[in-house]
Amino acid sequence: MNPTADVIIIGGGINGCAAAYYLAKKGVKNVIVLEASDSIGHGGSSRNGGGVRQSGRDVRELPYVMYGIKHLWPGLSDELGVDVEYTQKGNLRLGKTEKHLEKLKTLADNAKKVGLDVRMIGKEEVKEINPYLSDDIIGASWCPTDGHANPLMATLGFYKKSLSMGVKYYTGAEVASLKKIKGRLRQVILKDGTIFEGEKVIVAAGYESRYIVRTVGIDVPMTRYFDQALVTEMQPEMFPQMLGTADANFYGHQTKHGSFVFGSDCGLEETMDMPLNEMKTISMTLPSSCRAIEGYIPALKDAKIVRSWGGWLDMCLDGVPVISPVDVVPGLILACGFTGHGFGSAPAVGLILAQMAMEEETVVDMSALRYDRFDPYQ
Amino acid sequence: MRIERYDMIVIGAGPAGLSAAIEAAKCGIKPIVFDENARPGGQLFKQIHKFFGSKEHKAKMRGFNIGKELLEEAEKAGVKVVLGATVTGLFDGKEVTVRIGDTIKHVQGDSILVATGASENMVNFDGWTLPGVIGAGAAQTMMNLHHVKPGDRILMLGTGNVGLVVSYQLMQAGCEVVALVDAAPRVGGYGVHASKVARCGVPFYLSHTILRAEGDDHVTGVVIGEVGPGWKVIPGTEKHFDVDTICLAVGLSPMAQLLSMAGCQMNDTKGGYVPVIDEDGMTSIDGVFSAGDVTGIEEASSAMIEGRISGLAVAHYLGYIDDAEKQQRIEEQEKALDALRQGMFAPQNRGKKIEKTEEGIPVSENLLDKGYIADDEIARYPGVTHKKGIHPVIECTQNIPCNPCQDACKFGCISIGDNITSLPVVTEDSQCTGCGMCVASCSGQAIFLVEEDVEPGYGEVTMPYEFLPLPKKGDCGVALGRDGKVVCDAEVTKIRSAKAFDHTNLLTIKVPNDMLMKARFFKSQE
Amino acid sequence: MTDIQEVLNKIGPYEPAEDDHLLVCRCEEVTKGEIRKAVHEGMFTIEELRRYLRCGMGLCQGQTCGKLVKGIVARELGVAVTDVTPATSRAPMRPTEMEIAGNDGGEQA
Repeated sequence: MNPTADVIIIGGGINGCAAAYYLAKKGVKNVIVLEASDSIGHGGSSRNGGGVRQSGRDVRELPYVMYGIKHLWPGLSDELGVDVEYTQKGNLRLGKTEKHLEKLKTLADNAKKVGLDVRMIGKEEVKEINPYLSDDIIGASWCPTDGHANPLMATLGFYKKSLSMGVKYYTGAEVASLKKIKGRLRQVILKDGTIFEGEKVIVAAGYESRYIVRTVGIDVPMTRYFDQALVTEMQPEMFPQMLGTADANFYGHQTKHGSFVFGSDCGLEETMDMPLNEMKTISMTLPSSCRAIEGYIPALKDAKIVRSWGGWLDMCLDGVPVISPVDVVPGLILACGFTGHGFGSAPAVGLILAQMAMEEETVVDMSALRYDRFDPYQ
Repeated sequence: MRIERYDMIVIGAGPAGLSAAIEAAKCGIKPIVFDENARPGGQLFKQIHKFFGSKEHKAKMRGFNIGKELLEEAEKAGVKVVLGATVTGLFDGKEVTVRIGDTIKHVQGDSILVATGASENMVNFDGWTLPGVIGAGAAQTMMNLHHVKPGDRILMLGTGNVGLVVSYQLMQAGCEVVALVDAAPRVGGYGVHASKVARCGVPFYLSHTILRAEGDDHVTGVVIGEVGPGWKVIPGTEKHFDVDTICLAVGLSPMAQLLSMAGCQMNDTKGGYVPVIDEDGMTSIDGVFSAGDVTGIEEASSAMIEGRISGLAVAHYLGYIDDAEKQQRIEEQEKALDALRQGMFAPQNRGKKIEKTEEGIPVSENLLDKGYIADDEIARYPGVTHKKGIHPVIECTQNIPCNPCQDACKFGCISIGDNITSLPVVTEDSQCTGCGMCVASCSGQAIFLVEEDVEPGYGEVTMPYEFLPLPKKGDCGVALGRDGKVVCDAEVTKIRSAKAFDHTNLLTIKVPNDMLMKARFFKSQE
Repeated sequence: MTDIQEVLNKIGPYEPAEDDHLLVCRCEEVTKGEIRKAVHEGMFTIEELRRYLRCGMGLCQGQTCGKLVKGIVARELGVAVTDVTPATSRAPMRPTEMEIAGNDGGEQA
């Protein structure tokens, strides 16, 4: 008999692991997670700057992101028994020009409308909050309830905890296709021929989700984008805020360990055509990132970089993910196209995916993230 | 962005990288060589001992002199070496980023040769992070490059060639080596290297491991114990030594990080994580080559030949030589490489216990257990003969690709033959004049001159001697046996130094006739 | 394909050992016991262990401890050392100051 589960989750990233955890927490006994690579969290889950932010987001994302920050992140370390290093000390999104400030203000105004505490602050206040920043910065948006966490620990924390609760994980389990049986999605077929069967199938596999759901006639309008990150050696404790810029030059924060983690690109990533399983860095990115970071945080000029790495973003056409049951393929639930914002929302998305799988009402309305929202321009 | 371009970028100016650059340059390529160190030559300039091998391939030359020759050859060939140049990344498009001073350069090559060498392995035991626990290679760098004594009393872990050679060099630098320890049940390196350490009185502890380093803020002592079944230490076998330094010679790992980063197909082997390469040294990435220790740990002599092969392969890849020329020139190099990869220590014999020599003579068990050949084992080897009058005694008992002694003797006393790994034979009708060239030529310091009845009841032993200060004629002291224990009183009757001996001095001592086959080292008595 | 639960059942629970206190990764001060324990918590790959414990994530990027960690993991899992894939290497190969890493001739943002 084929291995069978109540819920099969494709993708052992943070969304998949979180969904597995919340399912197990709900008492679902038989959950299987299939990870294509050899390591849990091999993709974007371990390749991001650790932002847990609301500011700067599309309003369609805010309800579930805000839910997670209010209800899930604060107790997550205790719940998982792993220090996920959640730090809620605010987020500065920095601007150096009037144009920057305009952009930040538009985003802030939109967010305020859905109840987020975010406001524009001037140069002096920026300096008060973070004295290490460059004098060239003329203002910022400030969201005091934003923060950051350790994506590596959060991903592996969900994994470890759910594993201990009986979730079955398979690594090196690359999915080839999905198959409907009598009109309902039932089978998950691996490249090696192994067949898993499940009542529900959650696909949370980043850009690769696209190849998987295509086998049941579903497509998500996504492109892929390569982004890089770097980490410095340990530094003295400097500042606790999450940083970003209006120009999206870089984003990042100081970790509990003392190192700084920054994400950044150099523009050439746009046209990268390397295979998805190769995540080789580009020679121009590290220098370019360093100049960008120095331009905003000159105090870090002597901090030594010990490593850089890269990963793929699954960029959805309209900038927000698809988190949605797929009506036309009963049993299928999709969670992909996170467009580079997936980490901070992962606990909430995990919970919501679990609720979708259980056919419960979700904690917030997710209708703006439906799979069938894409219409032609004209 | 400015990107400099070259036909060939070589990363690492060690024996492999330089040799490759030289061969390529001779074919008309203008290679650029980057090395992060302040001096070129890789590990060669730390090697103050004489190398093994064939005369054609620089045998009996000291490592640093081979380095000098290689640098001269590189300069003559027009190879450009940039020092203090750290390659920080190897990217798609055969591009490297190089840190030079406080700048980063982007450099692209039509071909790249990675010859980054190896790094030292570590083992962990209680106290392994204390200052005073150092790699054997680090000790060599301190002594032989920077002229700093690594410590006064030293315990060496590891009896491979590195452990043995560095132990000897530590003694040359004036350190006391209290013991050589190895978890393996047999000495791993050449018997001749072990013997020259053992005869100085250094005990070998095989099947032993370090239990702990002692000391609060630096090493003050070490405790070893005997390893029993299941790698557990047998209780009651602990031995303590007062030392200030523990040297680790537990192997090397290829430094293949650049190749791994570039996405080369890698192979995880017992000898380390190495790139998959074809017979020319090309990796899975077209135009990216690799040679030397980074492709698997071997001797520097092999690295130099591998480098030359890769240099020719690059020249062919870039169209500087045609198929025929490539084939012909690489064949010559491969022959030499094959010769080096023969004998008991050849890569294919790694880890195997070899019971008999190629000649069918049982290998000395004592040599493998204790580092020296027992007195009752020595007579069975073809270099050990007994006769009246002065003659060489060659205590060479393992098949190693090495033959300088054969040519050192102008009078045909020593024969190895065409097979470079054969044990040297002292010919029956030899006309030894006692010139000592053979003694100085032996990289293993395994040749002695013996003469009975120089005066009634006494004879003379002439031995290689590489310690300072040199004893003087008339000095009295004791002769030590192969096991480093005192065998009798001895008096220095002659000390010879000559340019042709290349810093191996010939020390002659007078001992009773019945000690001639036992006395193998001399210690002055203050 | 690796069935994680099956492997966990096979290798059994973590048993403390006498030498668990030994430092393995000196850059990030990770002990042998922490590594052994993490394997029994489901961290089977070097990639996961680096992220979970930071072993091999320090200044030397695992140059010193990489081989040691592999050995420990292989023993815990009961597999050959060569079956444990080493971490991928990434630039910069040597720790590089931000100011220097950015000094490649490009323009300041």
